[in-house]
Amino acid sequence: MSSAVLSVKGLSMVFGGLVAVDDVSFDVTDGFITAIIGPNGAGKTTVFNCLTGFYRPTGGKIVMRAGGREHRLERMEGFRIASRAKIARTFQNIRLFPRMSVLENLVVAQHNDLMVASGFSIYGLLGLKKYKRAEAAAVDKAHAWLEKIGLVDMADQEAGELPYGSQRLLEIARAMCTGPRLLCLDEPAAGLNATESARLSELIQHIKKEEHCSVLLIEHDMTVVMNISDKIVVLDHGAKIAEGTPEAIRNDPHVIRAYLGEDDDEPLPALIAADLEKEPREHP
Amino acid sequence: MAEAAGDGQRDFAFYFRDAGITALMTLPIAFPMFGFHLIVGGRGGTSAGYGTVVEPRLIWVLVAVLVVFVGRFAISFLRNDPAVTAATERSAIDMRRYMSETIAPWIGTGLLSVAILWPFLPFVDRWLLDLGILVLTYIMLGWGLNIVVGLAGLLDLGYVAFYAVGAYSYALIALNFDLSFWQCLPLAGVIAGLFGILLGFPVLRLRGDYLAIVTLGFGEIIRIILLNWYEFTKGPDGISGIPRPSFFGLPFTNQEGATTSFHKFFGIEYVSTHRIVFMYYLILALALLTNAFTERIRKLPVGRAWEALREDEIACRALGINPRNTKLTAFAVGAMFAGFAGSFFATRQGFISPESFTFIESAIILAIVVLGGMGSQLGIVLAAVFLIGMTELFRELEQFRMLAFGAGMVAIMVWRPRGLLTRREPSVSLNDTRSGI
Repeated sequence: MSSAVLSVKGLSMVFGGLVAVDDVSFDVTDGFITAIIGPNGAGKTTVFNCLTGFYRPTGGKIVMRAGGREHRLERMEGFRIASRAKIARTFQNIRLFPRMSVLENLVVAQHNDLMVASGFSIYGLLGLKKYKRAEAAAVDKAHAWLEKIGLVDMADQEAGELPYGSQRLLEIARAMCTGPRLLCLDEPAAGLNATESARLSELIQHIKKEEHCSVLLIEHDMTVVMNISDKIVVLDHGAKIAEGTPEAIRNDPHVIRAYLGEDDDEPLPALIAADLEKEPREHP
Repeated sequence: MAEAAGDGQRDFAFYFRDAGITALMTLPIAFPMFGFHLIVGGRGGTSAGYGTVVEPRLIWVLVAVLVVFVGRFAISFLRNDPAVTAATERSAIDMRRYMSETIAPWIGTGLLSVAILWPFLPFVDRWLLDLGILVLTYIMLGWGLNIVVGLAGLLDLGYVAFYAVGAYSYALIALNFDLSFWQCLPLAGVIAGLFGILLGFPVLRLRGDYLAIVTLGFGEIIRIILLNWYEFTKGPDGISGIPRPSFFGLPFTNQEGATTSFHKFFGIEYVSTHRIVFMYYLILALALLTNAFTERIRKLPVGRAWEALREDEIACRALGINPRNTKLTAFAVGAMFAGFAGSFFATRQGFISPESFTFIESAIILAIVVLGGMGSQLGIVLAAVFLIGMTELFRELEQFRMLAFGAGMVAIMVWRPRGLLTRREPSVSLNDTRSGI
């Protein structure tokens, strides 16, 4: 269980003259929850977008191991990363299908399997049993996920009408309905209250343990990150500055400086305080 | 000012001023449109050869301005009444639910029964029968375009191009290869579908306004090709003598020929309206086929992917849905139905020319889809009956006919800004998964 499901090597992303991600390398261990943290503008979402095919990286290599094959993500078309390399993702600003029902959102996610089962619509148009069975199975799978996130009663409502917290959970359930090996969550706890965050942590741990799916998440909510992560990767100004277990990260001087470097209220460890004395301060 | 009226007090001065400004704005529009009456050939024929005389009709302008003033005043009066506003809002929500759950199925059944019995209703004469065919043609085109615009959310302003491709495919194949209507119909659909893919490829990355402009251009390109490629399409002269469809091999004709004609086969008198009645049922069947296809495909993975694409293309890609194939199928299927409708148009008219396929046709079809409430099958029927039926019924108004068309559109948009029927039935539900297909 210690092999890497995803390996990122020397990933770079340059927009015009701006280096958003600079030579970042890390592994996502199979069966682990890996978190990427860092201050605003550190390049976390850019890394995500490179992994999931929304950006084509300027340099580097991304290898995903799924279905007994190695997929080179930096060369693949975006939608194939989900269908073949088995990576599912959610978005920082929720992207559900707001005018479709909650259940439909989960059934759409199983599009590729259903497409094959419906004989690319031919069996479906003819109304053959084969397709009906496949659709019933898809609905059952969706139903199971609705039970896990507690939204069974709202199955036939429009997804856009759900409360914010439920929309977040639904988006995760929808991503899981694609049957991924790796789930990428972009700030899943943003805008959630304490109860909802706790619920989210539970769901993520359930996904790791019961669904045999590795998780990679970006998060600002440190309670969530420190509680559930097995490994943390820290980015600052597009570069990786630390990597390790939550305890190691909590005590890493580089990380503390990246987060607290310009804050006088917090007592800094002596080592960093001495370090800071030597550098001119930009904001006295 | 208007906000002050919110406390329950009415600001009549504001309404008055508002209505006054609106009426004033009517003046420059009404003046050139209603203000003059052209009389060709002089006054009363007494001075023949005098040429055209302009007669001022200022009283018409005055009437128009007054109508606008009173109308505007009444609208703001009712709009700003808190009681009325609340009541309308409440009733609008209730109405919508009531309409879609209780009345809509009945309206659907009722309209279908009327449509089936239409040729045999006592008051239906030749003119009303032709009107029925016309309305059904637009309903079919509306349903076809609904796949592209309503389901897949791809704004297509050049839909008439596929209608033209279907019509010309039928005409040219039937005349050059001597194939019957029933052999040409699927061919015309397939050719139009291929043109749909042809349009789809270059516009895969475009959305919204940009897509609309390119499709608009595509529609014009097809029309201009038809107009200028004289050797192939006979250009502006059009194609005449397009064969009429036969009743499964029995032609509707009074002439003695090698084949038995329809009336002889059934041993009845020859009546020329038999063919028209047959045409009516033909387009009814084609339209119902379009509807059945749409209703079914909406519940299939492709249909759901279309709707998902309309909602959020980026989320679709993240779920592994191939946006290219999904868009191309939507274009192809929508175009195919326009192709069917086009070949029906060609066989009904017996003559086609590029003039029948101008931008205004695309605009009317799109208006039917939008006013019907994008995505609603029944809404499209209502909008088509309303817009086409009304425009034809007011044919006697002559130059004001298009005014009636415009008024109809404005009325729907004021009354129901999101279209006639907006509620969408989910394609799958937890409780009865099997009722879907």
